[in-house]
Amino acid sequence: MAVPALHLEKVSKDFGRIIALRNIDLKVEPGEFLSILGRNGAGKTTLLNIISGVSRPSSGSVQLFGTDPGDRENKAKLAVISHEMFLYGNLTALENLEYYGRMYSVNDLEQRIKTVLHEVELTHRRFDLVAAFSRGMTQRLTIARAILHQPSLLLLDEPFTGLDQQAIGMLIDLLKSQKELGRTILLTTHDLHTAKVLSERYIILEKHQIMQDGLMTETNPDEIRKKYFSPLEKAEMS
Amino acid sequence: MRTAFSILQKDLRMEFRSKESILAMWIFSLLIFVIFNFTFEVSRLVMLEIAPGLLWVAFIFSGMFGLNHSFAVEKEDGNLRSMALMPVDGGQIYLGKFLSVTIIMLMFEFLIFPIFIIFYDLQLSFQMFLLIPVILAGTIGFTSLGTILSAVAVHTRNQQILLSLLLWPLVSPIIIWSVNLTGMVLGGGEIGAVFFPLLIRVAAFDVIFFTIAYMLFDFILED
Repeated sequence: MAVPALHLEKVSKDFGRIIALRNIDLKVEPGEFLSILGRNGAGKTTLLNIISGVSRPSSGSVQLFGTDPGDRENKAKLAVISHEMFLYGNLTALENLEYYGRMYSVNDLEQRIKTVLHEVELTHRRFDLVAAFSRGMTQRLTIARAILHQPSLLLLDEPFTGLDQQAIGMLIDLLKSQKELGRTILLTTHDLHTAKVLSERYIILEKHQIMQDGLMTETNPDEIRKKYFSPLEKAEMS
Repeated sequence: MRTAFSILQKDLRMEFRSKESILAMWIFSLLIFVIFNFTFEVSRLVMLEIAPGLLWVAFIFSGMFGLNHSFAVEKEDGNLRSMALMPVDGGQIYLGKFLSVTIIMLMFEFLIFPIFIIFYDLQLSFQMFLLIPVILAGTIGFTSLGTILSAVAVHTRNQQILLSLLLWPLVSPIIIWSVNLTGMVLGGGEIGAVFFPLLIRVAAFDVIFFTIAYMLFDFILED
């Protein structure tokens, strides 16, 4: 039997008296695209932090490709894209990618950088400082940085926040191509429409636990909105 | 070593591009020297007594700025988190940050020292070369401890206050000994039997601080 890309058993996390996650059981197969939905403060980011090994669970076990998420081998298979850019404004796009490439020991780095810059359409801006980039361009470079080492697992923490329509379209296309390449992808978002376009499966985090785990094909977005989101979030989504 | 070198290269490249740390440190130290030079009208002998302390006040207060800046840059846009996600040894990240902070601080010290000599009218002599190991040892002690504590403090809202509170009690022996050693050299008299054992003591503390910080840095990166 194939080892799941991700396996969480009874994972809980608290910060003192504040409970962030409670008894999370989750299994994600390789190549699967899972959307994690939920209100602000439901525990989506905490869950991704635990999966990425940056944060340890208070109880329960987490396995990434059958081993501990903190293992160096696992870290090399992982990429995170969030509203934080993970880029240095005072370096050029090329220098940023060279730095990340060296940290991830990317083979044939020069060629790989050319490829990813071409994919995100930033080849012509490679010698420019990132500080001079627009939000959309910075996010495109963030994507280039994330896929530079060809990760097996992509964790996306509300990556569409603050993007213009063009950048959103480009990110969706890129995620589709990553999915076709067989990468396992976990996406946290409020945007049900995008989640439905991209992923085949979803979970809903509510009150720090998984309230629903289902397939997108069997889902009525309106029902989910009505049941789990606040009026403000509903307005944002529609 | 490749990881540490990549971080060092990245930090130095950013510093040379912006000159943010070195310039701010240099101006701050210059202010200290100017203010003390023109405020107190004392004899040369008294000046020789207070000069070593003044030099280290300038080094350390400016160094605090360098330390704060080094990790503030990493905190921007989540780069500290991205470091925790990288498949590299935390010790190597520490080594890279330590080297960059130390090199920047040594460069600033090299640039400010001639100003210090001029302002306080100090006589140049061969004995002054002994200041090289003294400044090197004192600076390394300060930065080895400061680098890890700065990484701890950067997670908090009151980063600068916390760094000072954590750093001063631990680093003060090294600073006091470095001031004493500098005083012995600047005094111009014969270097006594105390000098080298004291210098070795500072170096020993450097090794201890560096080793502990190198081993602990993985835990600092975790949430």
